[in-house]
Amino acid sequence: MSPRAIALAAACAFAFTAGAQDVKVDADTFGGLEARSIGPAAMSGRISSLDAVPGDRLTVYVGAAAGGVFKSTDGGLTFKPVSDKHAMAIGALRVDPKNPKTLWIGTGEPWVRNSVSGGDGVYKSTDAGDNWTKVGLENTERIAKIEVSPQSSDTVFVCALGHLFDDHPDRGVYRTKDGGKTWEKTLSVANDTGCADLAVDPQDGRIVYAAMWQFRRQPDFFTSGGPKSGLYKSTDGGSTWREITKGLPEGDLGRIAIAISPVRPAVVFATVESKKSGFYRSDDLGESWTLQSQAAVTGNRPFYFSHLVADPKNLDRVYKGGTLMAVSDDAGKTWSSLGGSYHPDVHAIWVHPHNPETLLIGTDGGLYQSWSRGARWLFVGTLPLSQFYHVSYDRAFPYNVYGGLQDNSSWWGPSRKGGGILNKHWDSLVGGDGFWVLVDPKDENLVYAEFQGGNIFRIDKTTGEMKDIKPSPRKGEPKFRFNWNTPMHVSPTTGALYFGAQMLFRTKDRGESWERLSGDLTTNDPKRQRQKQSGGLTLDNSTAENNTTIYTIAESPKDANVIWVGTDDGYVQVTRDGGQTWTNVTANIPGLPKGTWVSEVEASPHDAATAFATFDGHWTGDFKPWVFKTTDHGKTWTSLVTLDLKGYAHVVRQDLVNPELLFVGTESGLFASLDGGKVWAAFTSGMPAAPVHDLQIHPREGDLIIATHGRGLYILDDLTPLRALTPAVLNADAALLPSRPGVRLIPGSLLAGGDGNGDNEFSGRSVGEVAWITYYLKKRHVIGDLKVEIYDPAGKLLSTIPGNKRRGLNRVEWAMRQPMPKYAPGAGIIFSGGAFFGPRAPEGEYTVKLIQGKQTHTGQVRLVADPRVTYSETDRKLQQETAWKLYADVERFSHLVAEITHGRDQARARAEKLAKGDALRRKLETLEAALEKQRVALVATQEGEGISGEEKLREELGVLYGNVNGNEGRPTQSQLDRREALLAELDVARAKFEAEAKAFAALSKELQAKQLEPLTRLTEEEWRKTAK
Amino acid sequence: MFRKALLALAGVALLSPASAQTLDEIVAKNIEARGGLDKIKAVKTLRMTGKMTIGPGMEAPAVIEIKRPQMTRLEISFQGMTLVQAFDGKNGWVINPFQGNPNPEPMSPDDTKDAEEQADIDGSLVDWKAKGHTVELVGKEKLEGTDVFKLKITLKSGDVRYSFIDAESWLEIKGEAKRNIRGTEMETEQTIGDYKEVGGMLMPHSLEGGPKGSPMRQKITIEKIEIDVALDDARFAMPAKKDAPAPTGRGAEPPAGLGTGFTPDASRPTGK
Repeated sequence: MSPRAIALAAACAFAFTAGAQDVKVDADTFGGLEARSIGPAAMSGRISSLDAVPGDRLTVYVGAAAGGVFKSTDGGLTFKPVSDKHAMAIGALRVDPKNPKTLWIGTGEPWVRNSVSGGDGVYKSTDAGDNWTKVGLENTERIAKIEVSPQSSDTVFVCALGHLFDDHPDRGVYRTKDGGKTWEKTLSVANDTGCADLAVDPQDGRIVYAAMWQFRRQPDFFTSGGPKSGLYKSTDGGSTWREITKGLPEGDLGRIAIAISPVRPAVVFATVESKKSGFYRSDDLGESWTLQSQAAVTGNRPFYFSHLVADPKNLDRVYKGGTLMAVSDDAGKTWSSLGGSYHPDVHAIWVHPHNPETLLIGTDGGLYQSWSRGARWLFVGTLPLSQFYHVSYDRAFPYNVYGGLQDNSSWWGPSRKGGGILNKHWDSLVGGDGFWVLVDPKDENLVYAEFQGGNIFRIDKTTGEMKDIKPSPRKGEPKFRFNWNTPMHVSPTTGALYFGAQMLFRTKDRGESWERLSGDLTTNDPKRQRQKQSGGLTLDNSTAENNTTIYTIAESPKDANVIWVGTDDGYVQVTRDGGQTWTNVTANIPGLPKGTWVSEVEASPHDAATAFATFDGHWTGDFKPWVFKTTDHGKTWTSLVTLDLKGYAHVVRQDLVNPELLFVGTESGLFASLDGGKVWAAFTSGMPAAPVHDLQIHPREGDLIIATHGRGLYILDDLTPLRALTPAVLNADAALLPSRPGVRLIPGSLLAGGDGNGDNEFSGRSVGEVAWITYYLKKRHVIGDLKVEIYDPAGKLLSTIPGNKRRGLNRVEWAMRQPMPKYAPGAGIIFSGGAFFGPRAPEGEYTVKLIQGKQTHTGQVRLVADPRVTYSETDRKLQQETAWKLYADVERFSHLVAEITHGRDQARARAEKLAKGDALRRKLETLEAALEKQRVALVATQEGEGISGEEKLREELGVLYGNVNGNEGRPTQSQLDRREALLAELDVARAKFEAEAKAFAALSKELQAKQLEPLTRLTEEEWRKTAK
Repeated sequence: MFRKALLALAGVALLSPASAQTLDEIVAKNIEARGGLDKIKAVKTLRMTGKMTIGPGMEAPAVIEIKRPQMTRLEISFQGMTLVQAFDGKNGWVINPFQGNPNPEPMSPDDTKDAEEQADIDGSLVDWKAKGHTVELVGKEKLEGTDVFKLKITLKSGDVRYSFIDAESWLEIKGEAKRNIRGTEMETEQTIGDYKEVGGMLMPHSLEGGPKGSPMRQKITIEKIEIDVALDDARFAMPAKKDAPAPTGRGAEPPAGLGTGFTPDASRPTGK
């Protein structure tokens, strides 16, 4: 088949399917409209597991709590994500010690705090993380450990903690003997008791220890421990197990961590949670145990820190995870907390097997390296694992984003920054665990931020002044109950601030005083108010289990008297009179299980009677999404859930412009609907399916700001094309879509290069000084042209941009500039950023043509001024005129140099055809020399390895053009004067050349008399064709 | 009518799952889609003229020449100066005038490997066995919403390339490469498109490449492809050095990205 026939067949195949049915909106519909990751990695995020492969260069694998697996092949300095297509919560990560290209990951985090993510089984890679295969145990929800038998790489043990929120049989110890093809459960205790730790004897794979843990998390309570917990041992490679009790505490046990000493595997260490937790040692392969210490660190939050690692060379040295990392140098008799600077809450520890001075630790705040056995630490600044609860924005240009994170305080940083959004661009506020951060709309220097349990502060960003503004009970009022993640809300109509305990508060004086807008809006069920007893064997009242509280607040942007509230015990309440009377509309929601946590109420920006709500049932083991809509103030509700929507729902947003455009953030990522919730598609362009906890739409920019709980913040710039993605567009073969106007950003330093601060820094993606052209392709474009052309109002072609070709949406960037002028060849670069570009197109409307083969689609793009510019219209006009004049000057100069060079080369070529000593030859040689002298006087010609710094008219004119072109304010008087001076030089140079060129005619006659080609002048047209 | 129906059926066949395709069939269909082995092998030289978009609004004229058996030359011009990278079948060399050095210099072994690959006028899938490469079919998958066959090509040098063949047109629409630069693995990707007919063959006129997962992209738009233009072997051989005067004085450094032959910095992790 000829290519033509193929093209024809392809076209016909296309025509055949087109129009047959509506195009299904799916993840690829969004195509090249990519969300950009802006980090931050300044605080990184929780790491639940890690492993490393020693070698000439250390290879490091990091398993993030909700951010997938990251890999470094440069010793743990820079990382790349390697498992983004799969479950994001990594519980266990193990490299096969015998085959370091074989990796095992168990998904679902075992550090079962309140904000913890689950997984979907075990994955294996045999190519060092490039590709992964799911090998089973899908329903285990979370996996605490994976160990490979020292005897056979095909024998692998999986320590499955199992479900956190409900009874489930899929937990305990699983074993494969065929590399993951089949699994057998060999240790199972009960449906509420899972495997919390597992260790295999490094010398004798028949000996395996397992810690079984009875535990449960509820919305309002956590229980660690019970009669079913215990330490188990197998001596037949995990086939049969028996419980070990000798020397261990009497009564109920909680979470146990196990470590076998690689130095002498008969020695086994354990921390055991009990009524009085402690550190135990066995010298007889775990048969009997002796209490070594009950120091506080040995019983430090066992549900969060039961992780022990024995030193590979020193029998007496043991490390333990903890709020601070602890170490014992006497086999557990005494303990010290490690100093130096590192983020508290250590969950994963790796000790270099050959050089135990080198440690890696995974914490709530990322990865750290030590080369001094934990005395001092290096923070690894390249892991964007930040776990945001919420995000917000201000109205600065460019705007800033704000948000609070798990155990990482509250932060703010820029939404865009030339050269990338770096760690150093972020600042923190408050401390503790961070949640909501909101900017006072009337004074954006003031922000409201909080730490857990409703501790709200007003902060002045300019001075750092911080004031506690938490509402407190007045005489006769009950104690206030604030959620771990206490809701704040700024009124879209008045700018007042709302805050929720069991009742709703509002302040109109920046927190100096609070109105009570309601009574108790929750169930006020005393059975759900047990936080003071929460924890099980080890009390753990961190406010994480505070319940019967308001969790979400929304005032209608259309009617300040309509306020919605959702509670963590399942109530949706609404007032239509500014809080005087409240209606509990929960019972009107069809099919929703009673008591399901209200994760979000979104008051429609379009209609006061319309609201959306998401509910989160995972707290009781219901992982389904629940999303509802009401259009009658909550009297009736419709479910918006389809099979395409996956994961329990955290947030719903309705677009500010197109009411049909909806976004939902769930535990399984971001979803979008173009038709009001009838059809949902996962949004995966540019971002992984990390848990999405919050979404905001910037009203001025139309950006969707996405807060993930594990991979930081993403920005989907400019929703304009999504707003226009109608069924008619979706069914068209191709369509140009509108984009927001291109802002002619004040040009930054175009020469700013790397700062040389090293590679230990994540660079968040920014937005360039560009205007976007967005279009839709029903299928990928393969054959024929695909390009975008931009025309000015006079119809002049300004730019041709190569098109992107993906199925779905595509976006190309127009730099708003024409190509740089044509420069004369010289010995070096003209060193001015503005010299690399043509002048920028002025504000106004431009015509866009999308050319796809023979089809042309026409649209518009508008350029607007940067709102920050301070110069006048007159100044900018003068700058534009001067830049264009200099552009022309540069080209006039370049043409002159080309003419000189052309004349020189012709003179030489003709001379070479004449005999030596010929009079005409001599004349031509004289001309050649004269012209070369002229050229050398005009352009830098010093070539060599060094930096010549030579500046002639080429360089001076080029730099002047570049400098004038690089700033859009009024050119300086020096620049204007300099142009006059350089133009005088150019005129002199032109006159000198013309003087020499006068001889051309006479010489040409002589040449023709000798049957030789005459000398010609290089016209401007000819020069333009050949100049590079 | 009959012809129309037939074409429609052909379309259906193209769209139906083709999981039974073997590697040999896929390679054969790719070669056929490009115009057939005879036409491909008859090409003696290729000259591609176009422009390279280094960043938004920053364009540089570019010329790529390839000549059998294994010669290539790339020229990129900027501000009237021209960078040359060439390979004569044995040795690679480069002229990088942006730092004031007009002289050709030999390429590093890592760069030479790349040039050698570029010099394969037929592409690595043609006669891959004879060339000493290994090609495996990884499988059929979706690439940005389009059905593709993913091929893993292990070059004779040991470097790995992935080629994504569009399951409908059988043309390559994307390539990925893993390069080992001084012991560090660098992954790049390249989108291939705008296939147009040249001398009875379909040739791509748009190439867009950069570090994998990074937004940094260099786009090459080919405006003209000439087949069998006369290209002297001397164009590919390293010329003699000019006599360079001793450097004097000092001036400014060239901007990042230009002094290094347009190689973007791939080492910093970037958002995506």
